[in-house]
Amino acid sequence: MDGRSVAAWAAACLFIVLSTTNPAYKLSVLGAVLAVLLVSAGITRMRRLLLGVVAIAGFATLLNFVSAHLGTTVLFSLPAGLPAVGGPYTLEALVFGASGGLTIATAVLAASPFSLLLEPQEVVAALPSALSRTGTAVAASMNLVPAISQSFVQVSEAQRFRGWKARGPRSWAEVVVPVVLTSVESSLQLAESMEARGFASGSRTSAEASPLGASDWLVIGGAALAAASFALARLAGWAADWQPYPTLGMPAVDPRALLSCLFLLVPVVTWRRRA
Amino acid sequence: MAAARLTRLTYWYPGQERPALDHVDLELGDGLTLVVGPSGGGKSTLLRVLNGLVPHFHGGRIKGSAEVRGMDVVTTPTRRLARDVGFVFQDPELQTVYDTVRREVAFGLENLGVPPAKMAGLVDDALHAAGVAELAVRRIKTLSGGERQRVAIASALVMRPCLLVLDEPTSQLDPEGAALVVDAVGMVVDQGRTVVTSEHRFENLLGRADALVDVAGGRAQTAGRDAYRRPPRSPRASRAGTPGPVAWSVSNAAAGFGGEAVLEGVDLCGRAGEVVLLTGPNGGGKSTLLRLIAGAMAPIAGRVERAPGRVAYLPQNPVALLHRPSVRSEVELTLARSGEPESPAGILEALGLSAVADRYPRDLSCGERQRAAIAAVLAGRPDLVLLDEPTRGMDATARDALIKLVARLRDAGSAVVLATHDSDLEHALADRTVHVGGGRAVERSPRLATA
Repeated sequence: MDGRSVAAWAAACLFIVLSTTNPAYKLSVLGAVLAVLLVSAGITRMRRLLLGVVAIAGFATLLNFVSAHLGTTVLFSLPAGLPAVGGPYTLEALVFGASGGLTIATAVLAASPFSLLLEPQEVVAALPSALSRTGTAVAASMNLVPAISQSFVQVSEAQRFRGWKARGPRSWAEVVVPVVLTSVESSLQLAESMEARGFASGSRTSAEASPLGASDWLVIGGAALAAASFALARLAGWAADWQPYPTLGMPAVDPRALLSCLFLLVPVVTWRRRA
Repeated sequence: MAAARLTRLTYWYPGQERPALDHVDLELGDGLTLVVGPSGGGKSTLLRVLNGLVPHFHGGRIKGSAEVRGMDVVTTPTRRLARDVGFVFQDPELQTVYDTVRREVAFGLENLGVPPAKMAGLVDDALHAAGVAELAVRRIKTLSGGERQRVAIASALVMRPCLLVLDEPTSQLDPEGAALVVDAVGMVVDQGRTVVTSEHRFENLLGRADALVDVAGGRAQTAGRDAYRRPPRSPRASRAGTPGPVAWSVSNAAAGFGGEAVLEGVDLCGRAGEVVLLTGPNGGGKSTLLRLIAGAMAPIAGRVERAPGRVAYLPQNPVALLHRPSVRSEVELTLARSGEPESPAGILEALGLSAVADRYPRDLSCGERQRAAIAAVLAGRPDLVLLDEPTRGMDATARDALIKLVARLRDAGSAVVLATHDSDLEHALADRTVHVGGGRAVERSPRLATA
């Protein structure tokens, strides 16, 4: 799996899901994304992400339901005098909110392979050469992250033995300040080490100009086909948008537009599960 | 031509009135030069002059001149000097850029713009030169500290420097890791390269050294290697009185992480006024056992009991907890929290910190910081003292001071548990020694412990 093929696939997913309001196509993309993630990451690694995504999507749904008092199918009403929440609560607002939540969930999950499946260095390797120096600095700083979290545990434990107790936000300064200071010092030491090895001394080359494999090209091709065919379907009027207001109706579904989403399933057969 | 020549060189770190290097006149020849001297004496600063990190990276003021292979250090930026001077730092964790060994070693070549086709051969040569060819395809995070430092040496060598500088490369390592690094430095010297290293554990290199430079109080002077005398082994700390009642006990306990036991069936206890030493391989569970006794983690099975009283716990990287404006205020914080009316002066003097008591602790040298953190943790009269690798990075003088302090606490009735690889510490303090490894904690006989 190469960072560039992951980027192409994620971009195609995002393009489709953000370019339509039709929940049928969004659901198709979500289905493809979940299938790919289940195969390549596994449910155990996805569990926390899924919980987070469900929470965000639920919040988006609720927010629209509470704030948009539009539509004709009234489920219940609160007195109009109540600030912000007063007024009719409609099925249309609930469904439109759910559609928005679906967009957010799909977009987040489509971008998740960058953290779920790739190491920071692989993400950096996928950057264009113009961003190589910045990317290397970012990748190097990533190496400090485990040390910082370990330092947080150590410092809070050690300060507790010196009599520190968590009593509100201000008391946390005794833990947070040393951890931040240590992180800054660690960053400076890393920078010092990079400088001592000639970083930023001129134009760089890369030791690993890894060529894309056949499976990566397959994923990139599938992603390009998905995005191009969906764009074509939009231009041709096959992939119609959907509008729940004023009265809720079923979204129009065209098999030619649905077919575009199927190309997003290529990674199911090409990406292997990573530990 | 001399490898490096410093002429009346004086250097002040930013905001400091006292120079870190004071009128240094020094000529470093080819071969191996060992830089020795007390912690805080200016060794690291002197080494950083050789590749221009001082003054270019650290700032500050500089007077006099410094030349390395004919290049003026003051006017040549570090990134240019990096082509001729390789540098290896103390902490193996904080000099890694990439996640695999081959890529890491190639980093310097990438910075020099070496064509990718030429890199593979140069990387292989460097890996061989540092004795880590077999690690080429490993991920950095799977390496031990000693292996990481060897990779750092390869990463410096790959740029084909005229001069390799190492700043206490074993100070953060256990004895096995340190031995790996010292062996690697020996290999590099045997290949005819010019090496300058500061090191506490350099007895094995002394026979190969061409020169010795003694740095103290910012002054440096060259000495023959015959001038070096190994510090005598720390004497056994005499004891006043005998151990008292049981202060802590671990009964049939299992401990670990995420429900998986690192240690099982642990039965141990310690008394007030007694020093129990935990020894064993890295990852064997010494720190886990220490944290279990401290109460920082709950046992998976069994029981852990402690007599009531204050627990002083020193983690492996105690410097991380320093955050007050001065060393003295760090000690005062602990004393105020524990409600003990003692003056901080006593422990500061015991650890040789009186002269730096009013300085910001993070501005001190590595060894001084370590002692400041120990002072902050051990101030007062704790009932249970738990120290995790307390002598890591310490010179002999600081270690002797720590031994005296721990002996004093022991004689005052503190129960002490030390997790350490340091045989000097074991010799000087251990009443009992427990070997921790293979999932077990097994007590060795007192005779073995002191043999």
